[in-house]
Amino acid sequence: MSVPIPHIIKTDITAVKLFGNIVLAGIGSWAHVYDLVSNKLLQTVHALRGQKIYGFIPSKDERNIIIFGGKQFSIASIDWSFDGDRKVLRLNPRVGPIICDDWLHAVVWTKEEEIAALTAHNVVQVWNTSQERLITSSHSKDNSILYSGCLVPLDDDVLVLAGTVFTDVIIHACSEAEPLMSLKGHRGVIFSISCDIQKQLIVTTSDDRSIRIWGPSTTVTTPANTKEYWKTVAYDSKYEVYGHTARVMRSYITDDLIISVGEDSVVCFWDFQGNILKKNMAHQNGCIWSLDADRNNLVTGGGDSSLVLHPLTVAKEYGEHEILHADVGNPKKIYFTTRRNIVILNERDELQFYDVELKSVTETHKLAHESTYKLMSLSSCKQFVAVADMAGNLDVFAETCKGEPTLRKLVNTKLKFGKILSMHWAGNRHLVVCSDNGNITVLASKGNEVETVTNFFLPQSKERWLTAAGIDSKSRLFAVGDRCGNVHIYIIGKNNPVKTLNKVHGRYGPTSITIKNNGIITTGRDGTIKHFDLTNDTVKYMKSIDLNFEWVEKFLDKNENIVCGFQERVFVVYDITNRSKLVEVPCGGGHRSWDAVRYIEQIQDNYDEFIKLIYLKNSELHESIFQLGKIVSRNIVNGSHTKEINCLQSHLLEDKSAMYFISGGEDTTLRISIYNTENGPSFHDSAIFKHLSSIRTVKTFNLDNNKILLVSAGGRAQICIKVIEFKDIENKLTVESEELVDYQVKGTDKERKGNQNWKSCGVDFDPEMRMMDIEVIKVDHGKFLIVAACSDAILRLYEFEYSDNKNSFKPAGEIKYHKTCILKTKTFRFQDKDILITCTTRGQVAFWNVTDNLTSNKIEHHINSNDAKPFYMTTTNKSGINSINAKELSKEEVIFATGGDDNAIHVNYIKFKEFKCVEKQGTKVDNFHCSEVTGLSFMDRNLILSTSIDQRITLSKYEINDDGLTCNFVSQRYSDVPDIQGIDVICETSDNATVCVFGKGLEVLNVDKPR
Amino acid sequence: MGKTSKDKRDIYYRLAKEEGWRARSAFKLLQINEEYNIFDGVLRAVDLCAAPGSWSQVLTKKLRQNSEAEDDVKIVAVDLQAMAPLPGVKQIQGDITKLSTANEIIKEFEGLKADLVVCDGAPDVTGLHDIDEYVQSQLLLAALNITTHVLKNGGVFVAKIFRGKDVTLLYSQLKQFFSFVTVSKPRSSRNSSIEAFVVCQNYQPPDGYVPTMANPLLDHKYCDFNEFTGPNRFIVPFNACGDLSAYDSDTSYSLLLEGQTTYEYREPVQAPINPPYKEILDKTKNIDIRK
Repeated sequence: MSVPIPHIIKTDITAVKLFGNIVLAGIGSWAHVYDLVSNKLLQTVHALRGQKIYGFIPSKDERNIIIFGGKQFSIASIDWSFDGDRKVLRLNPRVGPIICDDWLHAVVWTKEEEIAALTAHNVVQVWNTSQERLITSSHSKDNSILYSGCLVPLDDDVLVLAGTVFTDVIIHACSEAEPLMSLKGHRGVIFSISCDIQKQLIVTTSDDRSIRIWGPSTTVTTPANTKEYWKTVAYDSKYEVYGHTARVMRSYITDDLIISVGEDSVVCFWDFQGNILKKNMAHQNGCIWSLDADRNNLVTGGGDSSLVLHPLTVAKEYGEHEILHADVGNPKKIYFTTRRNIVILNERDELQFYDVELKSVTETHKLAHESTYKLMSLSSCKQFVAVADMAGNLDVFAETCKGEPTLRKLVNTKLKFGKILSMHWAGNRHLVVCSDNGNITVLASKGNEVETVTNFFLPQSKERWLTAAGIDSKSRLFAVGDRCGNVHIYIIGKNNPVKTLNKVHGRYGPTSITIKNNGIITTGRDGTIKHFDLTNDTVKYMKSIDLNFEWVEKFLDKNENIVCGFQERVFVVYDITNRSKLVEVPCGGGHRSWDAVRYIEQIQDNYDEFIKLIYLKNSELHESIFQLGKIVSRNIVNGSHTKEINCLQSHLLEDKSAMYFISGGEDTTLRISIYNTENGPSFHDSAIFKHLSSIRTVKTFNLDNNKILLVSAGGRAQICIKVIEFKDIENKLTVESEELVDYQVKGTDKERKGNQNWKSCGVDFDPEMRMMDIEVIKVDHGKFLIVAACSDAILRLYEFEYSDNKNSFKPAGEIKYHKTCILKTKTFRFQDKDILITCTTRGQVAFWNVTDNLTSNKIEHHINSNDAKPFYMTTTNKSGINSINAKELSKEEVIFATGGDDNAIHVNYIKFKEFKCVEKQGTKVDNFHCSEVTGLSFMDRNLILSTSIDQRITLSKYEINDDGLTCNFVSQRYSDVPDIQGIDVICETSDNATVCVFGKGLEVLNVDKPR
Repeated sequence: MGKTSKDKRDIYYRLAKEEGWRARSAFKLLQINEEYNIFDGVLRAVDLCAAPGSWSQVLTKKLRQNSEAEDDVKIVAVDLQAMAPLPGVKQIQGDITKLSTANEIIKEFEGLKADLVVCDGAPDVTGLHDIDEYVQSQLLLAALNITTHVLKNGGVFVAKIFRGKDVTLLYSQLKQFFSFVTVSKPRSSRNSSIEAFVVCQNYQPPDGYVPTMANPLLDHKYCDFNEFTGPNRFIVPFNACGDLSAYDSDTSYSLLLEGQTTYEYREPVQAPINPPYKEILDKTKNIDIRK
């Protein structure tokens, strides 16, 4: 990465436009041009000033484009050129931005150098674009505020469709005083109107969650692109349809589809009769703000800052489904083999081999089993099929690798160790059998018999058998799952587990266990994938990946990225890296016999990925095949937080080769994102952790070069601590994490309620507070004091110890000093002591000497006492303090700045003698920002950087001289990030600083210092 | 979520139910009054965008003290939506952008003008901050526009404002009509909330200003004395309202407040009337549309 760091903007994508292989995206005030084939960012254009882009409107000849948003529009010419055989475009800003006197909802080209714009007060303005002049303004009779609108150029007029706050759509022609008609029916605000006059179709979306499809109720012979048509025709609501669980934001009409997107992150595909064809989840539960489509693709922009490309084939070609008709008796269990043929265990005590090419059963092997309780398992390569009954009759078959596929019987034996309760392959050579009394026998084949490799003993539990088994590559270490959700680890030669991981998954037990690269990965029916580290034979819990479906069964690829399972009755295939569902099949649920495979196959000149599912339903064998290229959406721009980011810390690697952002937000996720420019700028979330509620604060402590302690806290009084390591594995930057602490002040729900149901639970009178801010202070080697500022006005102290083999976290005291919510904290070094500052909603600022008064040997004394006192207290702002910064000027002097809800920044200079204030000077500036000041940072040369909800970043300079303390304006700039919650200085030189502001998205920009 | 969790999360929500207010916002108006005494001598007041009616409740309670004859006090509440009736409040279900609504208010005051106009209206927020701020500013300007028809010279106007990126444009506009414009945040309004209230005192329209509903008031543009970015931005003074000893809306309090011995759960005073999502709730009562 070259220095300086380039501009990064990630926020709501509010406008998109498709041009074949090129897509334009409006991200803040910047138009971004992406190549869909390479995913590369080709160009960015600063199209508007201090305003989000809401629309791209190309002229008919595609030589010019209007870029509009808010009260502004600008015009760029489009230069088309060829890159090889691909057409690419370049935008050349030509006009603007022109600032109108009202908000623009829709803009259309009416002539070559003339455009019409619909404003939020139902006025149509016509502008001459070459003269940049307003020609006419046509006011409608109804001038209430519009939430949406649509303009359609007619041959002889402009048709206006206005979506009012009163639930009506008013249609009028620009040149006519009287409205032509109103579309009545919605019960909420109209959020969007789409109109295709050729199809005589109007689609509206609304606050009331519905989509309405309107069409003519009378037959009119005049063409629909004339005013005459609209004067005579009547439209009524043809279909009122519901597909979204939240507000419906936008819609689009293609040749044969209506596409709607909503606040619920769902894309719905409808036919013109209002039948739903497909529903797709697209933007991580964030709102979808914008969409555009052509013949092949749909592109959507969302509240999670992502830009997603969807193949339109998903609506109509979602998989091929077939019932395989074969005489298979009454099938009980089915599995795919290596060559994707099917082995079927039926009720007639037969194992059948179904050849997929021939579409028929080619072999039937009669088994000589005594019990009807049968177990069947396939080795991890799917070549070996083991079938056993409870009595111990075991048969092992193998599918031939070459030539005609057949099933060859390898083993036919009777195991003599009591009732067989479970049987699983571990890898390809070991069969793990669990019999009565927790006896586990690991078998391997020997000739056409089996031999016992080792025996293990499963600890006592109810339903004492196994749910999954895994083996390491050296065949030395086994990991098995039991019916209580525990994972036991055994080493050959030792009967008892060398380690038991308790309650890794829920009561159904782990569904799969994979051991590789010194790690264990388990899946379970509790909606999680868990990772453990096995380095040096010590087992460390690393992380949990939470999926949005309960039943996680197994991985379908070798990289543990594609996982499948069930969401109630629906079979789900999920891509972990892209956090998206690839396939959904309502097959009836996971209790039936089923199997799935993933494979690559050539389709014409290209290779595509396929997922094939088989399952039994009503004793019939169903098969579904999905070509992923036809149905899977792809990120052009990766998403991140779906709601406000409350806290963020950047981490620039020492060689500046990459940048990490650690951020927590209202969407309850803690994300570690990597930014690098190796193959063009890319930003992606490398790790995502969940909290129970919003995350208000993250703090880090550097343990090692690229290893940090990460503490996060927030709602539901929750603190989480992790160790994060930034690694470069085979030139790929990754984040490794070890989760150490997940603590709730009042305990987890389960700890609190036990097994009582909600009815028998008494009311808990104490509220569960929010942790507003947190500090991590190193006390000793591997020993930390964690201070949590809480919304119930209490300052809570915790002692955290961390070393390689153990860690502990325990409460170390509560300080009840403040009377209202503590909003912010800050620590800094002064006189070689750690000083803590706490700030409240009443503008109070208190200074605490951590080293002398709060560290562990002293804390005991303070527990639950009210006598811990700050050494200095003052009141600065009129109300809540939302940002604080402080630093030592000399051994006696401190400067600190606070910014608050009162849009004021207070800068104070204090001279301390033995921690007693002997001199104070202060100044207040309240005209640098017009809203809550949420971020403050001191830089060198007495510079202060501040930011606010008003989306301005201000650089000011303080001076202390004989006249006292002053703070003067230096410069200011605007950020496209709404609802700014703070600022983080990434790096600073003598000329400038690279900073990151965060809120609804984030922006990295350079702030120049004065010369 | 438990029944009491909202009570725990928000002290003012709970206090509102205990004191019989229809919404917690009642405390905001009370606290603004503590700071500015906006009710002093007020006999005729207008509550714009009044539903569910908590500010009208405050007005009836507070203004009655200003006159011995109860009939002298006149309160008009205007809203697009229906609102459950309140004794002593004349309701007009109408649009504040219509001249007829202004005339109806004047008629109610028997030709006299109002001493005080308040507006706690907020739009349906979309989640896009710039649109929400714009629609809120248009709502405020529509309220200001009707206020210019009904407010007496010297009168007071209080309205909700979103302090977003373009709020200085609104400040400069309000300043054209009022001698004193300040922005206030009552202690009952959350620190994290973008909302604040403008208190505009001493209504003095510009010379020759003729109130008109023909065109909506449009907001200002950035100019030399109110720059988009720079040292010259039009920022009005800020005040925090409400007693320092008042409850703090960001603080988590126990359900048993200091000095209390019992806690009893109370239902909200007034449930929403006919929300836009009503239909879908009815429709999906027995089915799950997520599938």
